[in-house]
Amino acid sequence: MSELMIEATEVSKRFGDVHALDGVSVTAKKGSVLGLLGHNGAGKTTLVNILTTMLPPSGGSARVAGFDVVKQSHEVRSRIGLTGQFAAVDEQLSGHDNLVLIARLLGASRKQAHQRADDLLEQFDLTDAAKRNAKTYSGGMRRRLDLAASLVGSPEVLFLDEPTTGLDPASRLAMWEIVEKLVADGTTVLLTTQYLDEADRLADTITVLSQGKVVASGTSAELKAQVGQRTVTVTLDSASDVDTALKAINAVGLHPVAEGLTLTTPVNASRDLATVVRALDDNGLEAHEIGLAEPTLDDVYLTLAAN
Amino acid sequence: MATLTWHGSSYPTQVLVLTGRSLRALLRTPLLVFFSVLQPLIMLTLFSQIFGSITSTANFPPGMTYINYLLPAILVNTAMQSSLASGIGLVQDMSNGVLARFRSLPIRPSTVLLARNLSDAVRTAFQLLLMITFGVLVFGFRPDGGMLGTLAALGLALVVGWALSWVFIAIAAWVRKAELMQTVGFLAMFPLMFASSAFVPVGGLPGWLQAIAKINPLTYAVDAARSLALAHPVTGVVGALVTSGAIAVVGAFMAIRGFRRPLSI
Repeated sequence: MSELMIEATEVSKRFGDVHALDGVSVTAKKGSVLGLLGHNGAGKTTLVNILTTMLPPSGGSARVAGFDVVKQSHEVRSRIGLTGQFAAVDEQLSGHDNLVLIARLLGASRKQAHQRADDLLEQFDLTDAAKRNAKTYSGGMRRRLDLAASLVGSPEVLFLDEPTTGLDPASRLAMWEIVEKLVADGTTVLLTTQYLDEADRLADTITVLSQGKVVASGTSAELKAQVGQRTVTVTLDSASDVDTALKAINAVGLHPVAEGLTLTTPVNASRDLATVVRALDDNGLEAHEIGLAEPTLDDVYLTLAAN
Repeated sequence: MATLTWHGSSYPTQVLVLTGRSLRALLRTPLLVFFSVLQPLIMLTLFSQIFGSITSTANFPPGMTYINYLLPAILVNTAMQSSLASGIGLVQDMSNGVLARFRSLPIRPSTVLLARNLSDAVRTAFQLLLMITFGVLVFGFRPDGGMLGTLAALGLALVVGWALSWVFIAIAAWVRKAELMQTVGFLAMFPLMFASSAFVPVGGLPGWLQAIAKINPLTYAVDAARSLALAHPVTGVVGALVTSGAIAVVGAFMAIRGFRRPLSI
């Protein structure tokens, strides 16, 4: 039987009149990666805050590593690691001292704490900067130190809230590799991201949040099948052309969405590009610009909104 | 993966480790320490020179040097300023993300506050010792109470500052805005400092200021510290300690309540 390490049931959170979360349910099995995909304000961080016991839910219940996040918050906190959107490191301390501090607070002896700090610094390629104040670290180094800090206690469940936002491509790739290694070692990971490729690469199951609600969930393949692999974007010269094109493309069985002078049409196969071009041509329309794009988070929303 | 079974440390360990963390951070920012000591030193220097002629006025205790009169007040005052810094330090911790990390750990939130309070008490003690050293070496501070009396005055100032530090930590836990606290804190302290017996005898103040000075708690704290350092009949020490204790208890209670609220929404 596969053990559920994250189990949120109908979780809701209100801030005054705002429903930040509205009946969200997610689960993650031991050793899997759950990807939470959504724009800013979709409720990703609020859900992470509830699952990490930082915020009490307004309704519903949640268990992490088998413990209730409200009634057994201490038990939960001793089994999780959290890396937020902003590096939560003490800038006035060295990298080494940051990690020793966490280890000591977790109950390690002085000797164990130093050992653990050295190990993690080496693992995250920070040994050379170990004695320097964290204030002097680059963005990527700070993130790595932050991630190292959340791994000091070898957590069973790791929460990564937009771990690669603002990182350069190389640091981003390095972060992905670290996460993959952790998962291979049996850690359960909840990852929030705005990037489909990140969720695609790391997550076993993906839940898409929009305005505090789950709008889709499944494996990456299932989601893509739902979204359409790609989109065709067509930019036209006038608003009347847009109307004609909308009708023409609808008539051939595709579902375009117009925004200004640009039409976005989710497509399943590359021959749909030809279909779109033919539909425009048959109606005597000339596209200003035409292109085929890989799906992005925007497309997921577009498709889900269109359905 | 190495299976580690650290599931949280004891309460005293948490307090000790977190206090150590604040002190270590302090040691790593020597410039900040320098300036936190410089300010009261400047005050000591300026006031001892500017107000020196007060000794010849009618209300001033005959035969006393101004530095002997001034230094105990500066001790209390420095401790008070330090307590404001304590609250601001907490707000800074909240905003730079460290507290978010602490909150995700299996530790009690009150340990964070207690550690803040303790580490700031250590910092204040250091500041006060330095003030006394300068007072003795540079300005000729020779209190009749001797070393023991002076240390007792230092202890009293420390207790007053410690209690006020709980007040500012409580305000920080609820208000969470460093600039606002700095401005309002300074605005509150400035008149409190002058409308008291700190720099001139209350008898020498105009009538309306005398009225304020007589109800100003700082007057009583300064008088108590002064009586200890100068070996005068000890007045109000017990009162100052009891009042400080009461303020600390209420402050700590409010601080812990305020601190429980989520960090960011």
